[in-house]
Amino acid sequence: MAAGRPQEEVATLVRAAAAGDASAWESLVARFSGLVWSVVRGHQLTRADSADVFQTTWLRLVEHIDRLHAPEQVGSWLATTARRECLRAACAHGRSVPVDEAMLVLFGWSDDYSPEHAVLEAEQVQLDAARAERLWQALADLPPRCRQLLRVLMASPPPGYTEIAAALGMPVGSIGPTRARCLQRLRQQLAGQVSELASRAHDNQQAGREGTRAG
Amino acid sequence: MPDEAEDAELESMLREAAAWLDPVPAELIQAATAAFGWRNVDAELAELVLDSLLDRPGAALVRGSGGPRLLHFRADLLTIEVEVTGTGSACELIGQVFPAQRAGLEIRHGAQVDHAAIDDLGRFRVEFVPAGPVSLYCRPASGGTGTAVVTDWIPL
Repeated sequence: MAAGRPQEEVATLVRAAAAGDASAWESLVARFSGLVWSVVRGHQLTRADSADVFQTTWLRLVEHIDRLHAPEQVGSWLATTARRECLRAACAHGRSVPVDEAMLVLFGWSDDYSPEHAVLEAEQVQLDAARAERLWQALADLPPRCRQLLRVLMASPPPGYTEIAAALGMPVGSIGPTRARCLQRLRQQLAGQVSELASRAHDNQQAGREGTRAG
Repeated sequence: MPDEAEDAELESMLREAAAWLDPVPAELIQAATAAFGWRNVDAELAELVLDSLLDRPGAALVRGSGGPRLLHFRADLLTIEVEVTGTGSACELIGQVFPAQRAGLEIRHGAQVDHAAIDDLGRFRVEFVPAGPVSLYCRPASGGTGTAVVTDWIPL
């Protein structure tokens, strides 16, 4: 494919896939899976619902690929479709995620993909693992709109503002300010964690001293 | 007030954490790739125009209060109405096509296709459809003049 602007490249892939080119379809899956997944994960659905929404979104595109009004905007189309399907799943099965599953949602996809496992796989130093988990915990504690926005920002490759707007159902113009506000809230959340840890350590120290005195 | 560089740094830390702790599961990428196998070039698309889960006023409030879920799909020349009861691996679909006509019906779900018939009055009934994305493919009876119609995928 001739190198062009990313949007033109995407439009070219969409047209090729619509004409039956399976490798063009694979490229679209590779390019936009991270975006679709980030939209789904921001909604904290159960594991089964997350998988269904992800799969339904791609199946929908198969049927619609030759009738998209703006092929270069397929990322926004996917994000919008995924968001609507998340709402449908929430209506069908309720928003509540069982506690044990909530932990899985928090710490990754499946039983065999624990953070510890991830650490081993990535061969990262312990400090990085602790930092990543702190970030993840802080993210989970944010209000839903902020969590959804930041989770979409985290998609890889990074989505454009029109795709983020589609994922949130917000005007493009309000993404920038909302992003800044949500990142600020995340910082506050992280600071709160740190002070909580510090006060817990302090309490433990106190308890330790009292224990010594009592004994 | 943090500046843009600090925001960008925090954002890239977040992206790194997501790639690490919550990557797209490989089996879902495979499923999305395989979805292309469902592409068809001969059928007209019947789009989902009503899902009682979302479109009924107060749908969220009456959830769980009984009553079947209703799905309506519309193509230019054919409308398909479906009533869904049951859950899990035992969903039942009772449907009607308008205008009424005899036709073959394929129920596409997962990697599988089940077959059923639409009778002269345009009615059909399918049992034991598993939860998950499903799409109906309506094939005109041999000798019929209409074109095939396929519905949008919808999770049951």
